[in-house]
Amino acid sequence: MSPATLSFIVRRLAQVIPVVFAIATMNFVLVHLAPGDAADILAGMAGHATPEFVAQLRREFGLDLPLYQQFFIYMGKLLRFDLGFSYIQQTPVLNLILDRLPATVILMVSAIILAMTLGIVAGVTAAMRYGSWVDAVISVGALIVYATPVFWLGLMLIVLFAIKLGILPSGGMIEIGSGKSGLAYVLDVVWHLILPASSLALFYVAVYARLMRSSMLEIYTFDFIMTARAKGLPERTVAWSHAARNALLPVVTLAGVQLGHLLGGSILVETVFGWPGLGRLVFDALLQRDLNLLLGILFISSVVVVFANLLVDLLYGFLDPRIVHK
Amino acid sequence: MKSCSSKLLHICTLLLAASLATAQAAEPKKGGTLTYTFHPEPSALSTLATTAVPVALVSSMIFDSLLEYQGAELTPKPGLAESWTISEDQKTYTFKLRPGVKWHDGQPLTSADVKFSVEKAVKPFHSRGKVYFGTLEAVETPDTQTVVFKLKKPVPYFMRSFQPNETPIVPKHVLEKANLSDKKTLRQSDFMQKPIGTGPFRLKEWKKGSHVILERNPDYWKPGRPYLDQIVLRVIPDGVGRAIALENGEVDLAPMNAIPLAEIGRLAKLPKIVKSTEGTEGLGPIMWLEVNLRQKPLADARVRQAMSMALDRNKIVDVVWFGQGKPATGPIVSSNPVYYNKALKPFEYNPDKANKLLDEAGYPRGANGVRFKLTQNFLPYGDSWVRLSEYIKQELGKVGIEVETQSLDLGGWLKRIYTSWDYDFTSNFTHNYSDPSIGVQRAFISSNIRKGASFTNSMDYRNPRIDQLFEAASVEMDPQKRKVLFDEAQQILHDEQPVIFLMEIAYTHLWNQRVHGLIQNGISMYSGWDAVWVD
Amino acid sequence: MNKILDFWRRFRQNRAAVGGAAVLLIVLLVAAFGPWLYPTDPFDMVGRPISAPFGKFPLGTDISGRDILAGLIHGARVSLLIGIVASLCATVIGVTLGALAGYYGGLIDDLLMRSTEFFLTIPSFVLAVVIVAIFSPTVVTVTTAIAVVSWPSVARLARAEFIAQRDREYVQACRAMGMADWQIVLLQILPNALPPVIVVGSLMVATAILTESGLSFLGLGDPNVVSWGYMIGVARTVLRLAWWMAAIPGVTILITVLAINLVGEGLNDALNPRLKQR
Repeated sequence: MSPATLSFIVRRLAQVIPVVFAIATMNFVLVHLAPGDAADILAGMAGHATPEFVAQLRREFGLDLPLYQQFFIYMGKLLRFDLGFSYIQQTPVLNLILDRLPATVILMVSAIILAMTLGIVAGVTAAMRYGSWVDAVISVGALIVYATPVFWLGLMLIVLFAIKLGILPSGGMIEIGSGKSGLAYVLDVVWHLILPASSLALFYVAVYARLMRSSMLEIYTFDFIMTARAKGLPERTVAWSHAARNALLPVVTLAGVQLGHLLGGSILVETVFGWPGLGRLVFDALLQRDLNLLLGILFISSVVVVFANLLVDLLYGFLDPRIVHK
Repeated sequence: MKSCSSKLLHICTLLLAASLATAQAAEPKKGGTLTYTFHPEPSALSTLATTAVPVALVSSMIFDSLLEYQGAELTPKPGLAESWTISEDQKTYTFKLRPGVKWHDGQPLTSADVKFSVEKAVKPFHSRGKVYFGTLEAVETPDTQTVVFKLKKPVPYFMRSFQPNETPIVPKHVLEKANLSDKKTLRQSDFMQKPIGTGPFRLKEWKKGSHVILERNPDYWKPGRPYLDQIVLRVIPDGVGRAIALENGEVDLAPMNAIPLAEIGRLAKLPKIVKSTEGTEGLGPIMWLEVNLRQKPLADARVRQAMSMALDRNKIVDVVWFGQGKPATGPIVSSNPVYYNKALKPFEYNPDKANKLLDEAGYPRGANGVRFKLTQNFLPYGDSWVRLSEYIKQELGKVGIEVETQSLDLGGWLKRIYTSWDYDFTSNFTHNYSDPSIGVQRAFISSNIRKGASFTNSMDYRNPRIDQLFEAASVEMDPQKRKVLFDEAQQILHDEQPVIFLMEIAYTHLWNQRVHGLIQNGISMYSGWDAVWVD
Repeated sequence: MNKILDFWRRFRQNRAAVGGAAVLLIVLLVAAFGPWLYPTDPFDMVGRPISAPFGKFPLGTDISGRDILAGLIHGARVSLLIGIVASLCATVIGVTLGALAGYYGGLIDDLLMRSTEFFLTIPSFVLAVVIVAIFSPTVVTVTTAIAVVSWPSVARLARAEFIAQRDREYVQACRAMGMADWQIVLLQILPNALPPVIVVGSLMVATAILTESGLSFLGLGDPNVVSWGYMIGVARTVLRLAWWMAAIPGVTILITVLAINLVGEGLNDALNPRLKQR
């Protein structure tokens, strides 16, 4: 690793710190804007709450301290990875989130891979057949998918594939109680993943296909393509090995930028399919109005996206050696 | 004629054979797993933490109490206590414990455990602990198998106290080590996650967000019981998902409206699904609109009667609740076998009369047809409550009451209704529980106008006669005289409607026909399921 | 006038955009006048629950026996209103911050762009969910939440435009004439920077409608009004019994959003001819 790359990584890491700090601050502000605090909720659930009991709880949680002190306490807790306690689920928020994070990551990664593959193939195909009916079909299809609410698409896929055709499971991550393990377990998860990952991916297939197509068309005007064609290379080779490789960069960039957006989509999709990830946790938290948990999810998911972005940035640096880390 | 009677005979024989066949099939089988689903997931495994339904469903498998109960009317029968005597003045209850009962960890159960459970756990921490044991003077343990409760005053429902979820008997030797200084430490103590009881099942595994597995307690005190090897709770957050799971046999049982109301009708029609609303008579859920009598128009009984008349309870039951319930007539549910006042008439649905009443009360329609505006909250318990709020807004709008609906989270709702008392009206539901003195009185007596205490008299309803009646009934030992007292109270509450009684919610249970022996008494879902078996 | 005609001539060339504009016009007219033409209250139980379309009710009834067509018509108002107002707010915030950052540069630019990037990074939908959940769902909180999570992209674009313009000759001339900064920004640069902003802003309406529908679907809609996302959420519990109940509002959203996107692209072609085939 060159010193330039190393210093780039260090600098990028340093940039992450203020962002995480900002997220924490935003979270703190939101906590304190919420009507009704932890003491209220706990007291309400206890059933027999006297004002004295509520006051005692306030003291216990430090809710009677001046705001700036509460802020420092809050930050101190975050540094110790203490995101607070979910009074509804009687478990530390962090544990709840960490339990669910892997499922969300699986869903998001599958969706990205699916969206990238299909989007790139569709985009390149459309560009290769620019102006033909294939191009038109892909473009119109992309436009329509682009306008479809992701959760609704999921519901319709359930109707079609789970209810009408009965060929795919309508929800869940595994067939509980089947006692599958090893490869059978993995296959079971993949089986359950097909519908949610497709629902989530389709929107991005449209996005990537459109971007890939226009990026290809731009590159087709460059000299090196003319050269390649002049050399008599088959069009397929020109498109895939010369143009597509270069047209890929904006797609990768966009995929990185859109991680946060993807997470939002996965929340909706998980809700629809009962996928046991963060999204379902959000839905649960909403149903039971578990604000501590919601805020914890916002914090963790933001941090995850920030770090994923960092990762994409670094990857990007390796993908495209032309980028100078300035 | 002859041929006819012989045909009849033939039918009789057939019937007899058929009933014999069922009798044979009804021979309980040992072994197997029962999987049930409920949402949300329990937050703890003992009702000492909270008596919320998901917790109560599991904890009644793990814990026993001194008594068990028979039938819808909950006749006491021996449980952990083999026998009992009640003194003449009904102030001393002596229980003889069953010998040889063991905790899930192998320790023997003694009278010290019972004393500890009541004094150190249930009375201070259970949400109804003080209702049952508020007049408790002392618990004596003359020997390891005898427990004596001394009461300051007789408590007519004292024998109802010993249900597994109301007075769970917990192990002294385990809980003694935990610091139980307050409810918070209790809730967060290990015991809530890894409970030890004497019940028919013991905890095997709890995977948060996924499932709870209970396994057969091999040392259970009832010989040959429980039949099941395992009970599994599967957490499926999505209502449609729960319905599908029951439909395709992934789960065997969806108790207490665990399936979305809209799906119940469809599932109940499937040949393999059994639907029942029995077995929760001892809970008696009732839904009403809680009305803040501090607000000027609402203080007027005519306004409340008008609101009541503007709402079609049959529509609420049939459309909003998909038929799972029946219109309410007062504070005590009609399924209460003893104390329900049968003389109560159904509430009238009559928008015209409602309009007239409002005119009379001095609230004429303004230029835009609006008489006055109210803000409505609703119980944040899910879709059906939203649908209800939409219906109410709509119907009250038709008689000139403009309703603005405000959606609050549970914390915000509890705070607004029970702490700041800053609301107009809200949907709400409470349980009658096994006695009106336990579950009904609390919402209407004026001494229960207590800031910060939930499910109390948030309305600021003050009626000296009601106070008197409930007061008298809570110490009256003669059931006949008690009934007279409750009858009058019901009539007054029916007429004045300090809350607008809407419907008696039916808890509908759906199960796969392979499940048997579920409905045993009025608290079947809150009992041990040791008699449950599967094909 | 000439300019408008010119614009229309260019816009007209994109047939898809014209089609989209026509559809959008219909939706707007329905939103504006539909409730008068079809006065059935969308919250009124008018019939048997879950009756199929093309019976007594043109599009059937929902889970509470309410007219689905009435829901679509009244919901159009809410969905469009929230979409348009949220986008307007986001555009105003975005342009203001982008203009400040782009025009002044330096520390202000750094600060503003850092926060823009911050908002671009964090999962916007989750933030919107949290905001609405905390402040309890009303039309105002939903609109605000959507605006709060949507302004950054406008800000970035506006900043780029302002940076591109601020050193142009006409701006320097204005400065030389002693014009105040606010006059230069508002009267000189803004009109030139506006076309791409308009395009992004119009496309944002589509995203805002989708976001609103997602929030309503999760139960985070104003309980006093019907919106399309809410209708899908309601229908979800009876997906097995009546799939069309969810399909109808979904298709409506799809068509509307598609129309807006087509119009946005048409605007792009017509306003920014140099950006065509971007």
